Amino acid sequence: MKLETNRAIASNQFSEALRGVALDGEGRVYAVGDSSVKVFSSEGELVRQWKTALPGQCVAVDDGGRIWVGEFEQVEIFDAEGRLADTWKDAGRLGLVTSIGIRDDDVFLADATARWIRHYNRVGEFLNNIGDRHRKGGFHIPNGVVDFAIDADGILHVANPGMHRVERYKPDGELLGHFGRFDGRDPAGFPGCCNPTNLALDSSGRVVVSEKAGPRIKVYDPDGEFLEVVTDDLFDPAAKNMDLAVDAGGRIYVADPVALEIRVLSRRAETVP
Amino acid sequence: MSDERSRREVLGTAARGAALVGLAGLTGVLAVKANKTYAWSIDITKCVNSKLGALGVDVCEACATDCVLTLSAVRAVNEFSECGRCYICPAYYDITSAVGPDGLPSEKLCPRDAIEREAIGWIDPDDPANNFYEYTIDEKLCNGCGRCVMECKEPAGLGSIRLEVRHNVCLDCNRCSIATACPEEAYERDALSTV
Ligand code: SF4
Ligand code: SF4
Ligand code: SF4
Repeated sequence: MKLETNRAIASNQFSEALRGVALDGEGRVYAVGDSSVKVFSSEGELVRQWKTALPGQCVAVDDGGRIWVGEFEQVEIFDAEGRLADTWKDAGRLGLVTSIGIRDDDVFLADATARWIRHYNRVGEFLNNIGDRHRKGGFHIPNGVVDFAIDADGILHVANPGMHRVERYKPDGELLGHFGRFDGRDPAGFPGCCNPTNLALDSSGRVVVSEKAGPRIKVYDPDGEFLEVVTDDLFDPAAKNMDLAVDAGGRIYVADPVALEIRVLSRRAETVP
Repeated sequence: MSDERSRREVLGTAARGAALVGLAGLTGVLAVKANKTYAWSIDITKCVNSKLGALGVDVCEACATDCVLTLSAVRAVNEFSECGRCYICPAYYDITSAVGPDGLPSEKLCPRDAIEREAIGWIDPDDPANNFYEYTIDEKLCNGCGRCVMECKEPAGLGSIRLEVRHNVCLDCNRCSIATACPEEAYERDALSTV
């Protein structure tokens, strides 16, 4: 059964920007845009919202239910009620934070200013960079965003759009391998100047990516074999850097930064609640 | 400081230098055309080839076809400081053409082969995808057809390529035939004091 959608979340909730989407263990949907966090039930009902100090670039929820928001040169950490619990800054090191991954004692912050990923422990001590050993000194991101996801074994899967690849790294920064190639015709390849822009993993380790110009969603198996593409006119043609999240049921949440709403792709057509 | 940031600063300096050269050139034009009170220019926010949001529309080639000069006074210019320096530039390659044995698109976009591609900075000897590339438009070959401008537009590119009137070539016609043909009222006559 093919992926399809007839459902959107967060419509008319953001006025200028929608940059990040994440899910918690209960299926609640967290969206960052403008300068706020908005939390929706799995049915799409707005249940909570609060302001951030700076425009949020990305969002993640840790296993304790805390919400991490990446901003310029800092990360704000909120409790489940939206109260500010902590602010991380790393002056002189941390730039624009465009993706966050949290696993066990490790915190990974994608730094689009430096073009690599910063690895910290849970108390905010810097450990190492990921991607800085690239001989050209970082990921190639003409699109301005570094995005990644962490699999069940703790391996980071990173979109490197300017090289038309998805790369896999150990937390210490060792490159394990990559898949992907340029192709403007075959959907198995990555088209244009720089794709894929964003990336998420489902519970089976399949790699879900978003592309720009034209915007589309694709799914690859854990070995990088192309499985599926969704290319209809769901997304605004100008949409780029569409952030992704996947829930336990395999539904894919796509943040459209131009239409300012989150599209939900699933294998069974859902009715609008 | 990363290679990238230091190189951006160098590029920024180069862009400022180029702007100064441009101003100096314009000053010369103004001196030569001291009796003129206006000059034609293109509003890139109105030109359909560079206007944001104008996606899936045909390229407008009127700047190339409607100038009274054999080779139009309009040319494409790449603002390096705004360019992504991509491995595969959609303004340089026809990115819908078949992939060649080198993994690159097999055809170029420009019908006059007016764009040069060159790897810049430190070159990765093993992986050409791991380099930055500079795309330079040869003003002698370009006729301002606008195709590369359309392909460089967001979100496909970063919009660093745009059309400009070359004031050292333009005849300053009283009624510019491109302005008459322009479907977007993007071709404007500026008082020289504001140019
Ligand atoms: S405007 Fe046309 S002729 Fe000039 S560089 Fe671009 S594609 Fe080539
Ligand atoms: S003013 Fe004359 S020479 Fe200049 S661009 Fe227009 S038609 Fe060409
Ligand atoms: S005629 Fe007008 S719309 Fe057409 S390319 Fe020239 S400036 Fe752009």
